[in-house]
Amino acid sequence: MYTILVCDDDPDIVSALEIYLGSEGYKTVAAYNGKEALRIAAEQEIHLILMDIMMPELDGMRATSKLREGSNVPIILLTAKSEDSDKILGLNIGADDYITKPFNPLEVIARVKSQLRRYTSLGGAGGAAGGGSVLSAGPISMDDGAKVVTVDGEPVSLTPLEYNILKLLLSNPGQVFSSAQIYEHVWNDPVYGSENTVAVHIRHLREKIEINPAEPRYLKVVWGLGYKIEKGAV
Amino acid sequence: MRKLQCSRIAKACAIVLLLACSYAAGLFGLYALQYTDSVFSDNWKNTGAVWKALQERIFEIEEGVNIYVNLLERKQLEKTGGGGIGNQEDMAYLQERLDDMQERFSRENTWFRFRLTNDDGTRLLDTNLVEGESFLRLVKGAHTKTFTAGTAELWGGAATDNPENPGEQSYGFVLQYGLPDEVSEEVPDEFYAAFVNYDIGKHEFDVCLTGFLNLGAVAFLAMLYLLWACGHKPGDEDIVLTWQEKIFLDFYLFGMFWAAFFLCACVVFLGESIVRNYNPELTDFLQVGLGVSCAALAGVITLSLRTTIVRIKAKALIRTTLLCRVVRWTVRTVQRTVYEYVRNLPFIWRVLAAFGVYILFTFFVLETWEGITAFLWLLVNVVVFLWLGWWAIGLHRLREGTRAITSGDLDHKIDTKYMPLDLRVHAEDLNNISVGMHSAVEEQMKSERFKAELITNVSHDLKTPLTSIINYVNLLKTTEQTDPKAVEYIEVLDRKSLRLKKLTEDLVEASKASTGVLSVNREKIGMCQLLDQALGEYGEKLEARQLSVIRTIPEEEVYVYADGRHLWRVIDNLLANCAKYAMEGTRVYVEVSRGQGRGTFQVKNISKEPLNVPAEQLMERFVRGDSSRSTEGSGLGLSIARSLTELQAGIFELAVDGDLFKAEVTLPQYGG
Repeated sequence: MYTILVCDDDPDIVSALEIYLGSEGYKTVAAYNGKEALRIAAEQEIHLILMDIMMPELDGMRATSKLREGSNVPIILLTAKSEDSDKILGLNIGADDYITKPFNPLEVIARVKSQLRRYTSLGGAGGAAGGGSVLSAGPISMDDGAKVVTVDGEPVSLTPLEYNILKLLLSNPGQVFSSAQIYEHVWNDPVYGSENTVAVHIRHLREKIEINPAEPRYLKVVWGLGYKIEKGAV
Repeated sequence: MRKLQCSRIAKACAIVLLLACSYAAGLFGLYALQYTDSVFSDNWKNTGAVWKALQERIFEIEEGVNIYVNLLERKQLEKTGGGGIGNQEDMAYLQERLDDMQERFSRENTWFRFRLTNDDGTRLLDTNLVEGESFLRLVKGAHTKTFTAGTAELWGGAATDNPENPGEQSYGFVLQYGLPDEVSEEVPDEFYAAFVNYDIGKHEFDVCLTGFLNLGAVAFLAMLYLLWACGHKPGDEDIVLTWQEKIFLDFYLFGMFWAAFFLCACVVFLGESIVRNYNPELTDFLQVGLGVSCAALAGVITLSLRTTIVRIKAKALIRTTLLCRVVRWTVRTVQRTVYEYVRNLPFIWRVLAAFGVYILFTFFVLETWEGITAFLWLLVNVVVFLWLGWWAIGLHRLREGTRAITSGDLDHKIDTKYMPLDLRVHAEDLNNISVGMHSAVEEQMKSERFKAELITNVSHDLKTPLTSIINYVNLLKTTEQTDPKAVEYIEVLDRKSLRLKKLTEDLVEASKASTGVLSVNREKIGMCQLLDQALGEYGEKLEARQLSVIRTIPEEEVYVYADGRHLWRVIDNLLANCAKYAMEGTRVYVEVSRGQGRGTFQVKNISKEPLNVPAEQLMERFVRGDSSRSTEGSGLGLSIARSLTELQAGIFELAVDGDLFKAEVTLPQYGG
């Protein structure tokens, strides 16, 4: 039973989130500004914080940096500010994830689950598995011996082609592969004009391992160049 | 130092000192001058005053002799009875004058000693020596003067030749005269006065000279101080001009010159009056007058120098002269008249006139081809050459400036220095245009940025309630609804809220893209690769609408210089457009091509609805092909696509031909 602190100055949003999280079996605590959040976080044991940025008294950015001084509890920023610079600032200041409003409640749940798994069960991440046959990046890990892929500890079922594509990308984290290169590696055939099969497969793969496939965090699309697995992904 | 220069008290003191000292110095000077006579003579009898007095006495004796002669002549006439009426009275008058003279020359009245004899010394005419007194003993040296008067017959003696009038016989006299060594106050005549003055002078000269020099030096120093301090005033950094400096300098100095001249005359006149001692009772009065004159003279000189120096300090010496004003006014008037006339002449006429003058001159030179005119011709041609060069340089500069302005550098200012008049006017007009344009553009940019900011803020405010709407609609969906209509309504709410979400996102993006606040990271981008990725993303959506994609790509990858993320958004929007507005069951043509250093991406599809708006208008914000606006989509897609393309220095073109919709994105090739 995890306790989640929901902090937003709009009580409707707070109660909606409480309903969703409650239905997933989480215990929730509400706060309506940054100060309140800090106070509650100091009083009780909190496993995850959902925090708005634009709030009275103390805004989410400041509250996050305050919290980070003495705690490594996962913090997900939940805000209407959608500029890249805001996202970068938020993540740099110590937040673990960033969701822009208006958000999809199911996405919020998925991200909350992901953060909690990493914070509680996995702890030190990929190191636990050990062995040469395990490839990992962020929450994704691939045991090549058992042919099993897990994301945040949850097993994901992949087709052989998807598995091979992921394996190629995971074994070269940070490197960009063009569609043609992937095709040649995975299909073991010279390219003859139908590279968009790769794109389709990658999209399916993304849908399986990413929470929001439109905004992938691990399997990234480098537009006009190819695809890559983020090196040292969050 | 500065304090001293500004002090009013010091100045007042200096003025008083100057006037007082020059007053006293004048008097001391006068007496020192007078006493030089005594100082530079070894004996009181050798002084100038004595000499002058002796000359006067001699002149008087000569006059007396002449009167005597006249009297003798009249007496002879009387004897012969030819005297006529009035002779008796004249004789009485002459006799009276002689008696007066006798009185003046008597020992009781003067220390002057004389002995008048005829030229051979045989006949004593008159003397005031007493018996037994001789010049050698008593007077210790006598002067002699000879002169003639009357005729020999008249005197009854031998005649001597008149040296002034040869041939005329006249009678010669010898006058011996002198002064005794000792004089006393018993006889207070001019000689006694001279004797007394000599003594005084001997003693007082040093005092007077010292006084004159010291006081003069003090007055001079006071003047120097005043000149040094003039023009400075407490609390004013600059040189202060007084009313005196308002008078033209030449006027002022002219007036001051005459004032000084008059005062000099006064000084000389008064000085002489005092020295001569014509009127002893007035001496005090004259001395005051002399002192005042000296003081006034010093004042006048100081004032003249003061105003000159103040003007020099204020750098207005030449400016404040009448002469300068007159010259300047004349020059300016002439210049302006000529300048105005030339300026008002139309440009064409000016050019024609200049050329006409040149031609006439050339004809004149050809007519009289000599050394000097040939040289003149050469000279004029050099001038014309230089002038043409000047014009050419100006024109060149003007063209450069115009090019800079037209190429977008609205800040560019054409340097109009040393430009020919006509070009300068032109250049200034251009500068003014660029200023106007610059401010207009600036204004527009500002309002665009303001708009973008406003849209961003508004959309932030919209997003918060929208979040709640979406969340609660979702929650509603999870509840058990018995009424099938309710399920349908919730479905509508869900769709519309998601649409609203999309709209706000697009709105922010459109405003950001159009105002250029987005950062652009341009790099090498493979267009075919990007197209593959995009089709990979859209494949299913297009298939769902039974649209088949016909792809045409070149053998080799087309690399363009662009920002991958922005370019993806462009293609994303174009494909989304196809998915939304293309007629089901038709073909969509996508093509990547290259040429002329550019890469081009093209999408063609058949519109579902008749496109009743021109292509240009489709790119405007909130314009959609279907006027009913019933379909999903914000109407911002093409506008965003165009703005993003332009941000990457690309060209975005739309064409509508019946139901055929064609979009083309052209970007500069990488390295091309």
